[in-house]
Amino acid sequence: MASRDIVTYRTPASVLAGIASAVFVVLFLIWTVLPIFIMFVSSIKDLLEAFKLPAVGDWSGIGVFFDFTPTFKHYVDLFTQENFGTYFFNSVASALGSAAISVVLGSMAAYALSRAEFRGKKDLFFWIISTRMAPVVAVMVPLFAIFRYGGLVGTTPGLIIAYTTFNLPFAIWILKGFFDNVPYEIEEASMVDGSTRLQAFKAIIPLVSPGIGAFLVLCVLFAWNDFLFASIIGSGGAKTLPVATSGLVQPQNIQWGKIMAAGVVTTLPMMLLGLVIRRYLVTGLTMGAVRG
Amino acid sequence: MTKVVVSEVWKMYGKVPAVRDLSFSCESGEFLCVLGPSGCGKSSTLRMLAGLEHISAGEITFDGKRINELPPKDRDIAMVFENYALYPHKTVGDNMANALKLRGMPAAEIKTRVDRAAAMLQIGHLLDRRPMELSGGQKQRVAIGRAIVRSPKVFLFDEPIGHLDAKLRGHMRGELKRLQRELATTTIYVTHDQLEALSMADRIAVMNEGVLQQIGTPQDIYNHPANEWVASFVGEPPMNFLDAEVVTTGSETDLEVRCGALRVRLSDAHRHRLEGVRGGMRLGIRPEALQVAGAAPGADWTAGTIYAVEPLGGDTLVEVAFQGGRVLAKTGADFRGEMDAPIFVTVDSTKLHLFDASNGRALT
Ligand SMILES: Nc1ncnc2c1ncn2[C@@H]1O[C@H](COP(=O)(O)OP(=O)(O)OP(=O)(O)O)[C@@H](O)[C@H]1O
Ligand SMILES: [Mg+2]
Repeated sequence: MASRDIVTYRTPASVLAGIASAVFVVLFLIWTVLPIFIMFVSSIKDLLEAFKLPAVGDWSGIGVFFDFTPTFKHYVDLFTQENFGTYFFNSVASALGSAAISVVLGSMAAYALSRAEFRGKKDLFFWIISTRMAPVVAVMVPLFAIFRYGGLVGTTPGLIIAYTTFNLPFAIWILKGFFDNVPYEIEEASMVDGSTRLQAFKAIIPLVSPGIGAFLVLCVLFAWNDFLFASIIGSGGAKTLPVATSGLVQPQNIQWGKIMAAGVVTTLPMMLLGLVIRRYLVTGLTMGAVRG
Repeated sequence: MTKVVVSEVWKMYGKVPAVRDLSFSCESGEFLCVLGPSGCGKSSTLRMLAGLEHISAGEITFDGKRINELPPKDRDIAMVFENYALYPHKTVGDNMANALKLRGMPAAEIKTRVDRAAAMLQIGHLLDRRPMELSGGQKQRVAIGRAIVRSPKVFLFDEPIGHLDAKLRGHMRGELKRLQRELATTTIYVTHDQLEALSMADRIAVMNEGVLQQIGTPQDIYNHPANEWVASFVGEPPMNFLDAEVVTTGSETDLEVRCGALRVRLSDAHRHRLEGVRGGMRLGIRPEALQVAGAAPGADWTAGTIYAVEPLGGDTLVEVAFQGGRVLAKTGADFRGEMDAPIFVTVDSTKLHLFDASNGRALT
């Protein structure tokens, strides 16, 4: 196969476009990175220092931002006074739990939908996607009733099931597309080589790993950032980080330092996850597998 | 050493039959080619043998044992797929070793086998690459390698060398034939290339539109095609076909076939073939059964003009137009002739093929 480099030639227009895109990227970076930067910096400032601001228009006073003694007391407070260890664990358990269940069930369902032909397949597939069309709030009340009946309200398993209900259709939808792209001949070759149907299915899992990676990230992000389910179904016993953070906003006292630290604690794992999983997201392994 | 018997097998895709009432057998150790044009049901047949397609009706047996219901892994076959079907995430070496690993062969033995196959296929230097980094011909060789590292009951090849360049294809024909003889493994080889079939097979099964036309040795197929379709499909350059009629000259036993100005006096050997046939028939003449000459050396020669000359290096093809028809003749490389120049042509009547015009069947 030939290389996939895009051949480009320099023209005045392309030079101009290059400059324009560089300017855009810089502006975009300021727009996206600045809030995160402020969050980080504020989380290691004492409350008084955090509110030291230069006068409007006084650009030389910008140094005030960096004039502080770093402190980790907000972080320490979060985990000693506020029980954030438990909340962190709740977040991790519900996000990973639902991601794992969704990916296992979802890949099997997607595989079946991709490979098998049966009556009503299209309708079934549409029904699966359609469950994601209603907004979460619309199903919240009946779901709450069902969960209360099953004693799942305020428990981590309850939260896992709630996220799975929403992630599973999504998993099936994403992964079906990836399975469709894996030529069936590869499984056939594997069966001729001597594997069973199930082994042949496992043999092509690496080929859909970009899809599984993408789905895992989206699934974990959905659960990790979710507020609605967590505050209603997880309320009480299974508080997650976003719910706990909102709890730091009290009528008489908004604890900015802790809120910023909680923001960092919530954001950082997702950033790390993104870095780890990036490899799977960018490789298209099936390229060139099949003739023509 | 396994004998494969296919009996009365049908393959239906929905209501459309792709293979109709197919019966043949492949003796143990035999190299059988299934030859036919695109879409004639070759791959469908092979896939039924492999267990990748349900057998709609009929039965396939390996050594007398019915295999219709066995999954592929229990049939002990090795197959080369038409579209490679390599594992994209595995290296070439791992692609070839996969089946051996699945069977729990020791690593040292796997390595020897993979290395030997790679050397034969000239892909030894590619063992660490992934399929994505290979050319089409290299992929095809890896696909062959994946099959020949094993010692299965039956090899199934689906156009395994169709995408190689002409030189490599010639090389691979010899290598595969030799390998098959050495291993003496029953082999069913699908191709649409009649040259491949003629040069490699012990026997050829010719198929058209899902129906077996003829099965026989390459010589049989070439020299005694069962019908007009087989005659036209096998042979390069293709056979000439002419609408002709049988006429009695002089006494009742002197027969002649005529097509416009072209007349062929029939030898005694042919005479009984024409019994009962008067009028409608088709004449088949292979280009090498025709001779051309600049001046008429005898009475049996038909006058015509040169329509086109195609030098091929070793031979020259001359297309001769005569009153009532046109034929392609094969002659030596030293032939010289201008377009529209007069020329004479004659037919070797012992190499004549006669077909019934109503159903295309060969008259024997
Ligand atoms: N999965 C399928 N569903 C419906 N029809 C099919 C299917 N597979 C093959 N066919 C049809 O069956 C017929 C035989 O197909 P097959 O693949 O066996 O042909 P082939 O002889 O291998 O041709 P080629 O030389 O082009 O590979 C064709 O007319 C094809 O359109
Ligand atoms: Mg085919």
